[in-house]
Amino acid sequence: MENEKINVLLVDDDVDLCALLSEFLEGDGFSVHAIHSGEEAVNTLLSSNQYDTVVLDIMMPGMSGLDVLRAVRAEKQTPILMLTGRGDDIDRIVGLEMGADDYLPKPCNPRELGARIRAIIRRTQQLKAPATVITELHGISLDIGARTASVKGRPITLTGAEFNALCLLMERAGQTISKQEMTQEVLSRPLEAYDRAMDVHISRIRQKLSAVGVNNVIKSIRKVGYQMLTSPQSQK
Amino acid sequence: MAAGTTWKNIKKGLGFKRLFWRIFLTFWIASLAVMATTGYVLINEYTSTEYNQRFFNDVTAQAERIVWRYEHEVLVDGKAKRKIKEWIRQRENRGGQLIPMLVYNAKGESIYHYRMNKVPFEQRIEQHVYGPSNTRYTVLVRQPQAPRMYKQVLYRFQSIQFVLIFVACALVSALLSWTIVKPITYLGAFSRRYANDQTIAPLPAPLLARGDELGDLATDINFMVGKTHEAASAQQRLLHDVSHELRAPLARLQASAALIEQNQPDNRHVKQIHNDCHRIDQLIQQILNFSTLENTQPEEQVCDIAALCERILDDMAINYPGIPTVLTPPKGTQKQRLIRCYPEAIHQALDNIIGNACKYSDKGQPVSVAIESTSAAMLIKVTDKGPGVDEKEIEKLMQPFYRAGNQMHTEGFGLGLSIALKAIKKHGGSLTMQSPSEGGLCVEVSLPRHGKKTAKSR
Repeated sequence: MENEKINVLLVDDDVDLCALLSEFLEGDGFSVHAIHSGEEAVNTLLSSNQYDTVVLDIMMPGMSGLDVLRAVRAEKQTPILMLTGRGDDIDRIVGLEMGADDYLPKPCNPRELGARIRAIIRRTQQLKAPATVITELHGISLDIGARTASVKGRPITLTGAEFNALCLLMERAGQTISKQEMTQEVLSRPLEAYDRAMDVHISRIRQKLSAVGVNNVIKSIRKVGYQMLTSPQSQK
Repeated sequence: MAAGTTWKNIKKGLGFKRLFWRIFLTFWIASLAVMATTGYVLINEYTSTEYNQRFFNDVTAQAERIVWRYEHEVLVDGKAKRKIKEWIRQRENRGGQLIPMLVYNAKGESIYHYRMNKVPFEQRIEQHVYGPSNTRYTVLVRQPQAPRMYKQVLYRFQSIQFVLIFVACALVSALLSWTIVKPITYLGAFSRRYANDQTIAPLPAPLLARGDELGDLATDINFMVGKTHEAASAQQRLLHDVSHELRAPLARLQASAALIEQNQPDNRHVKQIHNDCHRIDQLIQQILNFSTLENTQPEEQVCDIAALCERILDDMAINYPGIPTVLTPPKGTQKQRLIRCYPEAIHQALDNIIGNACKYSDKGQPVSVAIESTSAAMLIKVTDKGPGVDEKEIEKLMQPFYRAGNQMHTEGFGLGLSIALKAIKKHGGSLTMQSPSEGGLCVEVSLPRHGKKTAKSR
């Protein structure tokens, strides 16, 4: 993988911007394919597996980025980085809840975009590398090699970021992990001000676990971060 | 203050300058005057005509009887005067009423007189009757006068009616006044409510369909509301489009700058372009925030202010790592932390205020956020130990794009506090600032705890 170029699908309705970003990202060592409409993006993504990651603009005429996200996540777990308007907290949270891996406010410095794409790819690959290790706690088992999760034999679908977060929490069960550290480990980037990405990922994990009957295993530690309990605790 | 306002309203409601009272009194007095005049004239006319009629009937009847007697008895035995006097006595004895009168026969001889001596000649009225022999007799009687006693009785009778008329008129006038004033009051209240809250239900259809001037007024107000809506949403759309249109080239500009940087890593101008792109982007965001607050009416939600402040302080710790922060949550139960508000707007307001405090603080100097909660209001005090603000400049600080004289070099646009103030005012709250002489700035935000709607009605 190391010597291969990372395939990025860039989805944005601004043709000129796509050209500029593609040029920049290609100069930065990526292989970029740009698409200018939501419908086309869904078709491309659902019919091919060649892309390592998707950079998706939320604000597009016609099929919006969120619609694309919903359609793609129904079938695929390709890592998705969304570009949101600055200050559009709702879009970000909705996007993360729909399974986007991370977000970047637009307009952004393309260098930052490159760094984010690398971060997403790094954590996906880093966790692909080791041989199959299975971690188990509270009936949740994570197959780190195959990146799959199941609860009491029933598989649950997690996005890349969610899998990483759950993995980190389970490996260090009983310890409190700060939000800064979690963001760095899970999203491979420092925590920012107004950054709710980690909270949304954790809340999604809780929802998914709760749907299969595992409740109150991840505890929020006020002002610090999160902790995976070693024994389930009843809610106060 | 609340009691004062209520009393003012009551006084205003009772004030005789109010249209209700004016219409009511005008109609009442006018209708009473018309009715009284008509009644008086009619009754007067009726009573005098009727009285005269009866009087002359009586006169005729009595005179005819006298004449009859005169022809049958007096003329036969010639003892006229005595016979008639006897008859008079008989009638008086039987309690019969005798009308004072004089009767002359055709030759002008007096055949009868009764109590007419004192009646002056100008008050005497001449009547004629015919006897059985078809001869003409002249009768003189006193001009009929409705007696004073009778008038008084009539007046009393009238006054009972008058009370009824009085009351009925009052009721009708009040009803009339009410039907005119009520829709006007309703329209006034509607306009006031609309000014505060553009999402209220439109005017009811029956009011619009009245077809009279008030219906027209309601239709016009509805038209105006529609236009206002259009204008507000057009402005919103325009801002949205403009910001989008501004950001698209900004993104391209930034990408181009990055490309130059890629080829010439040492180009120092590129850094400047990046910085300015970032600045323009922030400015667009602030202007958008400002106008969004002006034009939208989000849903009120229950929100934990202490948790909100905690989140803001967490963000501040990342943005301003050298500034320690202290949060003092309200005393009492969890419930004391809750407030009904538009969380986004309040978050923005507090974020701007606390952000300012951190921005102007010197490294190591703490910023404190203290929250106090009463049953009606939430008081949030943000204190920093920065350079403070000149007394004269405090007011101006809340104007858009104003920046205190000593801070021109700091990053920012001077919109933060205007946004905060707008958001707080939208909640019916208040913002005050104090800068003690020893330095630092204390910003106090007071918010009604039960939302804007209840704050208004109090």
